[in-house]
Amino acid sequence: MARRTANVGRLLAVLLVLLLAYLAGVQVVWGPQLARSPQNPRLAIAAEETQWGRILDRHLTVLADSTVQGGRQVRRYADGPSYAHLLGYRSARYGLASLEMRYDPELLGMPAATPWEASLGFFGRTVRGDDLVLTIDAAVQQAAAQALGDHRGAVVALDPRTGAVLALASRPTFDPAAVDARWPVLSRDPAAPLLDRATAGQYPPGSSFKPVVLAAALGAGRATQRTTLDCAASVSVDGLVITNFEHEQYGTMSLPRAFAMSCNVAFVHLGLATGAGPIIRTARALGLGQAPRFDLPAAPGYLPDPRTLGRRGLAEISFGQGSLLVTPLQMAVVAAALANRGVAMRPFVLLQVRAPDGRVLAAYAEHGGRDALPSGIASQVAADMVEAVRDGTGTAAQLPGVVVAGKTGTAENPHGATDAWFIAFAPADHPTVALAVLLENAGVGGQVAAPAARQVLAAALRAQAGQGGRP
Amino acid sequence: MSALRCVGMGSRRTRERGLLAGAAALGVIGLAAVHTTLHPAEPWRPVVVGGVALLGFLVVHGALCVSGSAADEIMLPAAAGLSAIGLVMIYRLRPEYLIRQAAWIALGLAALVLILGVLRDLRGVRRYAYLCAAAGLTLLAVTVVAGVERNGARQWLLLGGVAVEPGELVKLLLVVFFAAVLAEQRAALTLPGRRRWRAEFGRLGPMLLCCLGALLLLVFQRDLGLAMLYYGVFIAMLYVATGRMDYVAAGLAAFAAGAALCYHWFGHVRVRVDVWADPWAHASGAGYQILQGLYALAAGGVLGTGLGAGHPMLMPASYTDMIFPAIGEELGAAGTFSVVALYLILVGRMFRAAVRAGGAFEALVAAGVATALGLQAFIILGGSTRLIPLTGIPAPFLTYGGSAAVANFAALAVLLGVSARATGRRRQVEALRGAADR
Repeated sequence: MARRTANVGRLLAVLLVLLLAYLAGVQVVWGPQLARSPQNPRLAIAAEETQWGRILDRHLTVLADSTVQGGRQVRRYADGPSYAHLLGYRSARYGLASLEMRYDPELLGMPAATPWEASLGFFGRTVRGDDLVLTIDAAVQQAAAQALGDHRGAVVALDPRTGAVLALASRPTFDPAAVDARWPVLSRDPAAPLLDRATAGQYPPGSSFKPVVLAAALGAGRATQRTTLDCAASVSVDGLVITNFEHEQYGTMSLPRAFAMSCNVAFVHLGLATGAGPIIRTARALGLGQAPRFDLPAAPGYLPDPRTLGRRGLAEISFGQGSLLVTPLQMAVVAAALANRGVAMRPFVLLQVRAPDGRVLAAYAEHGGRDALPSGIASQVAADMVEAVRDGTGTAAQLPGVVVAGKTGTAENPHGATDAWFIAFAPADHPTVALAVLLENAGVGGQVAAPAARQVLAAALRAQAGQGGRP
Repeated sequence: MSALRCVGMGSRRTRERGLLAGAAALGVIGLAAVHTTLHPAEPWRPVVVGGVALLGFLVVHGALCVSGSAADEIMLPAAAGLSAIGLVMIYRLRPEYLIRQAAWIALGLAALVLILGVLRDLRGVRRYAYLCAAAGLTLLAVTVVAGVERNGARQWLLLGGVAVEPGELVKLLLVVFFAAVLAEQRAALTLPGRRRWRAEFGRLGPMLLCCLGALLLLVFQRDLGLAMLYYGVFIAMLYVATGRMDYVAAGLAAFAAGAALCYHWFGHVRVRVDVWADPWAHASGAGYQILQGLYALAAGGVLGTGLGAGHPMLMPASYTDMIFPAIGEELGAAGTFSVVALYLILVGRMFRAAVRAGGAFEALVAAGVATALGLQAFIILGGSTRLIPLTGIPAPFLTYGGSAAVANFAALAVLLGVSARATGRRRQVEALRGAADR
């Protein structure tokens, strides 16, 4: 009986030791993640008791800080409307959005970096949250906001070498400091100013998808730079008639020229020769059709299933139409991957977390990348994109003294006039900036999106020259 | 002469005194910390009262000294440590309950001394085993009929304005009854040869009926935690007495079947289990409490926010069912690990005493009581942290409550007595051996 008594005791001891292991998990291993849960009421309490951390650009320009008004802490945004979708807002009534929400625990200094900091609250001193340093360059962001003008649309600019986001802007926009007062209007506005078109807007890519088709064709060995294609005014695929933009016809032309002039008929022939499988696989490898891992929630877009596409469907996606949907962020990553010898770096926007005294608590140089394309294929596509800007549909993106690579897109959509696209990178031989510009219902890519892209590229190159070209 | 025994160096009681002083100091420092943080302008009376209650442990120690007891020297300090942490947390979470909890501890200690003084030999209790069972079931039945409901469970009896939780005391009465039946029948049940289930069923009949009755009454009260505890103790004692694995298997199968039926029949059981499986799906409803418990544990991290610096009040029932996560928030993993370690030590020493106990009845009572305490701690600590579904029962010595305090200190008294007699016997045997060697 003594032996069995001891057995029961051992069993209970095992249960209690199991509890210890579990507690270690909850309190130490998973604790930080649990503490970040937006449902945790401690966040709201900390927001009352803490001076919110600031949000800074990569040169430590203040984008958001806070002040006390009438006994309440309020957020101040340096250029609210330009950053509204990226930074988000802090509303007492409508909660948090975007980076304000994603990094709320950091902005509230939770969990406190040191026990000493945590105990400061004891002694009646306001605890100050940590600052966020973003990869954003205020000059580039400003150029992006200006380039969008009064259009609805979005601009995303990246450093292709690291994936660091230099600018991310969406229009129409709103004043994040006035969300409480303007909410009823903002939330019902048919232009959807609260929607971040850069990460969550999903559009047909139009001809800006042609670099993907080209890469797939070259990669599958179905074409080379010396391949010639028929660019008649139209082509009929199983009864579906596809025409060129404004019914242009160039007759037989080389692959680079067909790309530079964005000939739809030629690309239908190229796509049919390549097949749906390689095109969709290449698109997926470049990050299309799946939600990118990013600091903000990002939409996945849509890639059709190549097995059910059929010849007509294949003909449509060959020039970026059909059921394809992409976001400006995804297209910026495509441009960056083509610029970076086929390596798609994961986009990110948080560069550092800094303590109030300036100590760097966390720093991120990059979040890795993946080989989306063989580097040889990527550089061939890049060369053709240079041609498209030098003497093609994208000439409006030319910059003096810098070789720009780009591709226009003019996407038909069910909501009226065409969407204008431009994806680009520069300088072409060692790219330091890649971008995607989308202007909703704005017309022709080469006429409106390319000049907008030009402004942003120029601002980014100027800003990078100012800091010695460091990433 | 006997009082002098306590002055000697290296004795059990000397160690006990040092440990008890440490536990009391821990409690007083904790109370003072809470006081200076949260109630600096108010009088220090609660801290003094709490300190006096903890000094009560030293008075018990004095009584053990004077009587020359050879009782285990670790159990009492472990209980004192848990009581001290409990007092500090109650002062932190519900300051107006501190003085009452101090009084409960004093009452519990008085019960402990009384039982140690009266129950020189447990065998005397054996005669009253059936009376214990009858009293226990009656108490539970009265609670079902005349009890009042708090927090969804009808487990309280109002006696002259004081709410009593009979389930805690019945726990001990049933252990005594089970031990008496098993001590009587175990010889017949462990005979080698063919098993004759029907005859055995008859021998265990009274015990099975009593257990079933208690469980039914508890399910009526919606006190699922206590039902689980009683059943666990029942199975454990059956195993200790007979070693029959077929009984254990049948018992566990019955538990599974009963649990499944309860899940099917009773909405409140279903809610408990569903909330345990996915509290996030019920975040603002039934899952709120357990989620707040997890957030509290997470907020604590390794060292905790410090007493008074966290937000444990966000948890409903923070000073009763959720006291353990509250400790986790303000004292961190350091605090929760300490509490579990104290339970491990306390229950470990109790089992040590049970293993050494003389006589089947005494050994079974000791094993039953030790199991009850250990299992109770696991059920509520695991429940409030979402290791298992949450069922509200008091954490022994830690949670606010008078009935629990008296029952737990009575349990401690029984085990202290068992350990003292076991040591006495060992000393006799050693003395005899020494004489034989000579």
